[in-house]
Amino acid sequence: MATFSSDLIWEITRGNSATLVKRTQAGGVSFSRDQLNLKNKYSRKYEGLVADKAIGVQPGEEGGVVLLTKKADKAHQPASYIQTASIPAKRSTRKTYAAIINSTAGRNYRSDLRSDAVARASAIRKSQKPVKADKPTKVRGKKAKTEA
Amino acid sequence: MVAAKKHVAIVKKHPKRFNRHQSDRFKCVDPSWRKPKGIDNRVRRRFKGQAAMPKIGYGSNKKTRHLAPSGHKAFLVHNARDVDLLLMHNQTFAAEISHAVSARKRVEIVAKAKQLGVKVTNGNARIKTES
Repeated sequence: MATFSSDLIWEITRGNSATLVKRTQAGGVSFSRDQLNLKNKYSRKYEGLVADKAIGVQPGEEGGVVLLTKKADKAHQPASYIQTASIPAKRSTRKTYAAIINSTAGRNYRSDLRSDAVARASAIRKSQKPVKADKPTKVRGKKAKTEA
Repeated sequence: MVAAKKHVAIVKKHPKRFNRHQSDRFKCVDPSWRKPKGIDNRVRRRFKGQAAMPKIGYGSNKKTRHLAPSGHKAFLVHNARDVDLLLMHNQTFAAEISHAVSARKRVEIVAKAKQLGVKVTNGNARIKTES
């Protein structure tokens, strides 16, 4: 099967894509649901469907993160182009970031996405922490007087 | 919830609505803005003491356009999956739950947003409280 250039795929799919989420709010924003999109931003740089090589970082099922990379030689076979590597939650965050960099940007694989991949891994690890309960709101005014 | 990124102060140059000329005098004249077109119209000719007309100069600074007072822009979400999109944007975007979402699903969305540190602008809607 012939492979298409990334630029051509982007030109064709940029207006309509299953991953595209558009809103008219805030002057019109477009996000992407693509799992190979590190910032969920619908753009030529970040869209994983378009690029030959792409990085994705997703939360793991049992905590930790899953690093997804795209096999460049399978770029035209969406069913089999993703390679996964899971980094467990017990691995420290610094080692998690090092692992991500060593297997991607450190090997000349999308080094432009280095900081984005680390930032996303950091955000995911942060979101896996237990949520702090809200502070009880202070009652003020008339209610406070009747309660006291 | 994460606070919004720092931004220049939000300035609204004309916070009041622009009402249509003479809409205060006749109830059949709707206050929705219509530019006066008459040859003698004193508002159109910008005479002293007349109502101001809207013009492009009243536009907001590009940097603060669409910003809520909290510094976030709103992003409409219909389910918890939509909140995931804001993971890397919780300093610039706040989730706004669509009006037709049920109370049960709102709880899921608010919980997810809290996990990701995303602000929800209408997170208290449809939540029963004792009174």
